[in-house]
Formats: sequence, C-alpha cells, structure tokens
Amino acid sequence: MKRIIFLLAAGFCSLAAAQTNLSLSLPTAAPAAKAKPHVPTITMIDSDMADFDMNLHQAIYRGHVLVVDPQVRLTCEWLLVDLPAGGEHLNHVLATTNVVVDFTNEKGEKYHVTAAQAIYDYKVVEAVTNETVTFTGKPVVETATSIIYSEPMVWDRARNHFIFTEPKMISKDNGGTNSSPMNFLK
Amino acid sequence: MKMEANHFKFLIFSFKSADSKLKIKNLKLLLAALALLFAVIGSDRAQQLPVGHATDFTSNQYFEPPHEQQVKMKLSGAEALPLPGGLLDVRQLRVETFGVDGKTELVVRAPQCTYAPLDGVANSAGHLELESGDGKFHVEGEGFLWRQNTAALTISNRVHTVIDMPAAATD
Repeated sequence: MKRIIFLLAAGFCSLAAAQTNLSLSLPTAAPAAKAKPHVPTITMIDSDMADFDMNLHQAIYRGHVLVVDPQVRLTCEWLLVDLPAGGEHLNHVLATTNVVVDFTNEKGEKYHVTAAQAIYDYKVVEAVTNETVTFTGKPVVETATSIIYSEPMVWDRARNHFIFTEPKMISKDNGGTNSSPMNFLK
Repeated sequence: MKMEANHFKFLIFSFKSADSKLKIKNLKLLLAALALLFAVIGSDRAQQLPVGHATDFTSNQYFEPPHEQQVKMKLSGAEALPLPGGLLDVRQLRVETFGVDGKTELVVRAPQCTYAPLDGVANSAGHLELESGDGKFHVEGEGFLWRQNTAALTISNRVHTVIDMPAAATD
C-alpha cells in the first residue's frame, strides 16, 4: 500500500518524501514528552434516548446524539460510551451513522470531518498518552484550505495531527471555497 | 445466611407513618414492606401485595457474602401507594448504590415512578436524575425504565449527560 506522510503547517502543504503515511499536522502540534497539567474538562452528551448498563458500565445513546467538549462538537445517530470509573478519563467511544465532527485548534483553525463511523480511544501507557479518533466509512476532513479523503482516517489528538491512508486532496484556491482547480494526491 | 438469587434481597426495611415508625429486620431474605399491613417476602413465586400506604420509607439491599453486612443499595421514598397488580406508586424516589468499600457509586432520583417489586422494574414518564457518587457523571432525562435484575436503565426522552473528567494528558 502506497503511503505518504503529508505535513500541513500554518495552512501550507508540503510532502515528506519516502514516507508511508500521510500525516496532517496541525500548526499547534505539541512538543513530545512534556505533559500538560490535567485540567478537568466537561463533556456533554445529549440524545433522544439512552440505555445504561450498570454492569458493563456502558451507555448507548440513540437519536440526534450531540457530544460537546471544549474542543470538539460531534453529532451522530448512535453512540456507545464506556463509562469511566470515578475520576478517570473516557477511554472508548464508538459513534456511528452520519458522524460529523467539528473542532477548532488552538490557532482557531476549523476542521470539519464526516464519516460513517468514528472510534475514540484513550490510553496512557508508561506515561505516553495515546488519544486517537479513527474514522471509517468514507471519511472526509475539510479545512479552510483543503478537503481530504482517506480510508481510514486517524486523528491523533495527543499529537495534533491526522494520519491518512491513500488520501485524495482537493486544495481550495487561496483559501476560497469551491473556486480552485482540483489537486488530487494519491 | 442464605441469599436468594432473584427478586429482592432487602434485609432491612423501615418506614414511618404519621404516628409510628416501624423497622423490620430479618437476616434472611425479606421483600420490601411498604405499609402497616404488608410485607412481601422475596422468592420466585408470584406474590400479592397487600393494600397499604407508606411514607418516608427506606429499604436496604445487602451484598452477597462475604460482604453481607454492607449495604449494596438503599431505596427510599417519601410516599408509596399500592396500585392494582402489586405495583407501587412511589413519590420522591431515591436510590443509592454503594461499593463494598461503602462509597456511594450512584444516586438516582425521580419525583415519581411506578415500581413492580416482584419484577424489580420501575418506570415513569417523568423526570429522572442519575449521578455518580463523586458527582463527576450526571444524567437526566424524561421517562425511564429501570430493570433491577439486569441493572439496566433506559431513558426515553431528552437525555442530557455531563461528564466531568480530567483533560487528556499530552506527551
């Protein structure tokens, strides 16, 4: 499988040759090996209905599901959440059907992702945080400057970048919308 | 002490009527008793609840051995009215669940619900709030069905959840 690493910094694209993944790094990518303080965050989930299994510590939300946290807004039709034990971080969430994720990075740049399914996983292993969202089912991410298709598409939240597999990209001309010649990357 | 697998394992049930306060204790399986005239003993057999009316009642469910001295669930209410079919109309329901360490795990509150003691099912078209013991997980909604035997809760409408958790650590 042909894979490329692709870096996007401050809105400009550049290719890192001879790499196998396409990685879209947000301009605010954090330096490695420095832990941020754990500031509590509020995550809100709204839906038409929900089932809670207290034995499995799982919740399933159905119908017009909306998840909002300080960085992300997610909508879908079905959401499974492994409920965290007291004081712990959410570690697994599965969203399916018409998944739409909007988030803004620390520089105010907006990202819009659509997919059929998204899986959020959070894990800390030996002080290394792995926090990813894996999109499948024709995922597309749209920024102010480009539209990228990739199957699958992984948003590495801990490192602030996307990892693409055999991506196709449409560049928006001068940051405008729907005005440019199409530029596909494979 | 023998514990039955199904239905109710409430070992202490107390309630307070207008001019009296009764407390029933039984080291074996007891079912909830909700008025002066009724006490229901848990078993797999169908049982008929007597007619009665209780106020300010509390019922405790205990863990299986070896933690049989510790409360697993505490159910309380401001008022319980018997309904046909052995059902109870419970007002100001409050259910607390505890870990074996005694810490509160969940608190459930509902202004009103219909409770089927023999089936271990409660439901209501009204409001429900659920909160973890540390207050970091809060759910509310309208209309619910609680199945005690499977510890399953369905909220039917306008579900709103708030999770207060630590931010992700960044490497």
